[in-house]
Amino acid sequence: MLLQIIINGILKGGLYALMALGMSLIWGVMDIINIAHGAFIMLGAYCTYWFFSLLGIDPFISLFLSVAILFVIGYAIQRYLINLVIRATIFITLILAFGIEIFISNLALVMWSANVRMVQVPYGASNFSIGSVTIPYARLGAFIIALIIAGIFYYILNKTRLGRSIRATSQDLDAARLVGVDVAKTYSFTFGLGVGAAGAAGTLWAVLFPINPMMGGVLTLKSFVVVILGGLGTMFGPIVGGLTLGVAEALGTNWFGATYENLISFTILVLVLIFLPKGILGKSE
Amino acid sequence: MTERGAVTKKVILGILIIAGVAIPFLTGNFIIRFFTDTLMFAILASSWNIIGGYTGYASFGNVVFLGIGAYVSAVLMQKGGVPFWIAFPASGLGAAIFAILIGMPVLRLKGHYFAIATLGVAEAMKALVDNLDITEGNSGIYLPMMKLSVKGQYLFFYFMMMGVLVLTFLVTAFILKKKLGYGLIAIREDEEAAGSLGVNTTLYKITSFALSGFFSGLAGSLYAYQQGFIKPDAVFDVGVTVKMIVMAVFGGIGSILGPLLGALSIEVISEVLTNYFLVAHTLFFGAIVILAIVFTPKGIMDIISGRRKFGINYLLQNIRDHRI
Repeated sequence: MLLQIIINGILKGGLYALMALGMSLIWGVMDIINIAHGAFIMLGAYCTYWFFSLLGIDPFISLFLSVAILFVIGYAIQRYLINLVIRATIFITLILAFGIEIFISNLALVMWSANVRMVQVPYGASNFSIGSVTIPYARLGAFIIALIIAGIFYYILNKTRLGRSIRATSQDLDAARLVGVDVAKTYSFTFGLGVGAAGAAGTLWAVLFPINPMMGGVLTLKSFVVVILGGLGTMFGPIVGGLTLGVAEALGTNWFGATYENLISFTILVLVLIFLPKGILGKSE
Repeated sequence: MTERGAVTKKVILGILIIAGVAIPFLTGNFIIRFFTDTLMFAILASSWNIIGGYTGYASFGNVVFLGIGAYVSAVLMQKGGVPFWIAFPASGLGAAIFAILIGMPVLRLKGHYFAIATLGVAEAMKALVDNLDITEGNSGIYLPMMKLSVKGQYLFFYFMMMGVLVLTFLVTAFILKKKLGYGLIAIREDEEAAGSLGVNTTLYKITSFALSGFFSGLAGSLYAYQQGFIKPDAVFDVGVTVKMIVMAVFGGIGSILGPLLGALSIEVISEVLTNYFLVAHTLFFGAIVILAIVFTPKGIMDIISGRRKFGINYLLQNIRDHRI
């Protein structure tokens, strides 16, 4: 029983890790807290929904399309909007992101109504068992995809020219500029990548849970929890944070009841900020 | 501040005072209610301004004080049978005490971390009130009915809100002339330098946070009593925090009158949008937030004080200052 709960937590934790990956990248590189992150996850989920219900494309295939669409949206928003205020004080970018969040989620509300929708894949209910532990295929698939995407992120950041310019810009903006990095473009790519990852998370979310236009707010907050829990600016922080939150939530809701899920996440958030502000993997100064 | 700017400010202040007293006697209940809400947001934006504008700590959870104020009043009056005139100050004090307790750990954080921590505190409080028995959980709680005529109630809440707003202004203006005010601004400009010059930064920050909580708590008490029924979703809504910050920024942070002007303009814009676009008004509100932040990040007060001439160039210059 306990093992099953922990496995469930780990599987959901993989999805949390993917949610936080994009937010962590954007935050670490540009010092922007992307409050609209959850709204982008929602957009990814709706992309998947429409590809599935209109064209009958399986979510695990339309994933690539969703990521591409979200990448373009993210790139454009950074290039033509956020770059305009990037050097203002932090709460200017925070409120701008809030404005974007309000705009996107209400646009979705107007276009697609507040109805809760579901992507019902044929293999949604099938699962397999190892001993007494039951594992649904869809959840395991989502977990594996989340880890693969995290791996791709790792590769892009460490092994490519784009990754080098992203890391250079995050270390020292002016120095990066001096050695010829197009900072505005790098920022836009970074934001695009982060939002693309949110799109992937949205796709996987839609396979596992019901979706609606207002789902983003709580997901943004959970992404914070994961980023902070793992430690900002660490490569594996989101994964460690995601799995920790997933398991903590699974155990917590088992002991206290499902209505306490949010209370548990946000209490963890505040406690970690106070006692462990560098996160689990973060180095102390 | 230029000569022209000072005169403009006095004229605006005069108009606001006259309009503020005259409005309830010249208009109907709907308009009075609209301005009561506007006054409430002006209180919230002004309170936010104390911690966010003067002290430089961008709190993203200030709605928690509104919620606590509202629930202290609701629980005291409904469950304890306490009269309003005791519950009202108790709500302000309750929110201030909460600010002190939560401020001690949270105000050690800086920048984004402080913003997110306060947001987390507000969400955690919402989730807690959602699950407590004494607050009647997520089904909401009623408050006792008020024994006044309908018109009397509208006038009562209008002038009470105005009273709290004036109190907020007076206290803010008072502390700005004292050591506390200078200390807060010093913390905003450079906390380490302020500390090394002998400013007790922890004490000052907590005082600032507690003041911010106190006035928001009073507003929460009035809001709850006026509504007669409150729910956690409504009084701990993160959207209210966003609104008060947008108002403070749009009006001009770090000025006393700015948040009021911001609250007035944003409320009027929202009301007009709601009238014309019933379904999509929040969508347009989001667009306005984006445009206001991009084009007028220094707020209306920057234009009024007349440091720079307003025009297309003014708007573009704001972008040039912060773009990459």
